[in-house]
Amino acid sequence: MKDPALENDLRLLTLQAESWKRLHDFMNWALDKAAPMITLEQERQFTELRGILLQESEHVLSELDLSDELLGKTLNLLNRATSMRAMRELSGIDARRLEMDWNVIFAKMGTVLGQLKKMRKEFSLRKNFAETLAQFFRPKRARG
Amino acid sequence: METRLLILNAEPVFQDQALAIFDAMEKLERRIVRTLGEAIAILLRESFDLFVVEGEAAVAIEEATNARQHFPSLEIVCLLEDAAGAATRAQAEEQRIALVPRDVPTRQLRRSLRKMLSAFERFTGSAAEGIDSCHSLIGSLDQFSAAEILQMCCLSQRTGRFVFKSARGDSEVYLNHGTIRHAVYGTLEGEAALAETFRWRQGRFYFEEGIINRVQTIDRPLAHLLLDNLQKSDELIESAGLTKES
Repeated sequence: MKDPALENDLRLLTLQAESWKRLHDFMNWALDKAAPMITLEQERQFTELRGILLQESEHVLSELDLSDELLGKTLNLLNRATSMRAMRELSGIDARRLEMDWNVIFAKMGTVLGQLKKMRKEFSLRKNFAETLAQFFRPKRARG
Repeated sequence: METRLLILNAEPVFQDQALAIFDAMEKLERRIVRTLGEAIAILLRESFDLFVVEGEAAVAIEEATNARQHFPSLEIVCLLEDAAGAATRAQAEEQRIALVPRDVPTRQLRRSLRKMLSAFERFTGSAAEGIDSCHSLIGSLDQFSAAEILQMCCLSQRTGRFVFKSARGDSEVYLNHGTIRHAVYGTLEGEAALAETFRWRQGRFYFEEGIINRVQTIDRPLAHLLLDNLQKSDELIESAGLTKES
């Protein structure tokens, strides 16, 4: 038996963290002034990812009780990162601020993901212990 | 052993009825992707027992059909959001894609998914023996050498994967439009792996049409590789003869 609520939270947060990692890849490319020009296909993929994050962030963060802490920061970051071209044109300070904001959100997600995985492990240990106890007492009852 | 599932779902956060059911199942490892491109890239790198495509009937079956072209032996199931038309059903049947309706009560969906997974578990494990119906060519190395078979497939411009199984182990050779691109045998790769396979005189082989690998470790034509190999065999025989004589 697995805890459905816990599994649901884990799935949502894993998906969200994956999208944030992909966002970081795009940010890195855009903010690296030495990188080759940004192609139309890259812009299209970035817009697709941004659309996914805009749609899902509110739902995922509220499910995980992280809205108060992260929703404002998340929407703020997505509003500043309108396109890869726009990110490339950011000043040095703005670019650093964008990366720092990304890091704050990602670090919090990572921490919560770790906590959820720990809870899953504890749940599984408790379940195994309960099963062992049940097996231990079952033959006695049969004999009686 | 865990069953590995790759799930293609464009909206895994909002369309999660089936995902929640999979979450609750034991001994199931699942990975979720949002696009077919991602799914194919992952399927090329990793091995999965089952590929599940969720979505509207027409789109899901189209995507599953695309995946089938790349992975002929893969078990594919479509979880359909709406009813499929007769033509799409026929297409799915032709491509050996199982269809499961998703627009049903949760309890019924859970039953269908459990049934699907248990049926799948019963029938797995035959592909490695080379009797999968998807293998377009199956045979024994006693009758044909690896070199002969590869020459034949290169001439007919085939794309796919050859698996050679012998007492020494298994090797894989990838063909792309009649050109050998990659070979792997244990830790050996490229020409060294191919040369080892050429030496085998006993064992079995099968060919899986359409399976591709992005890795390229061989860039010379087969004829050159065969000549090199023949030369090495001659040298080996010669040196063996000299040792015997001395």
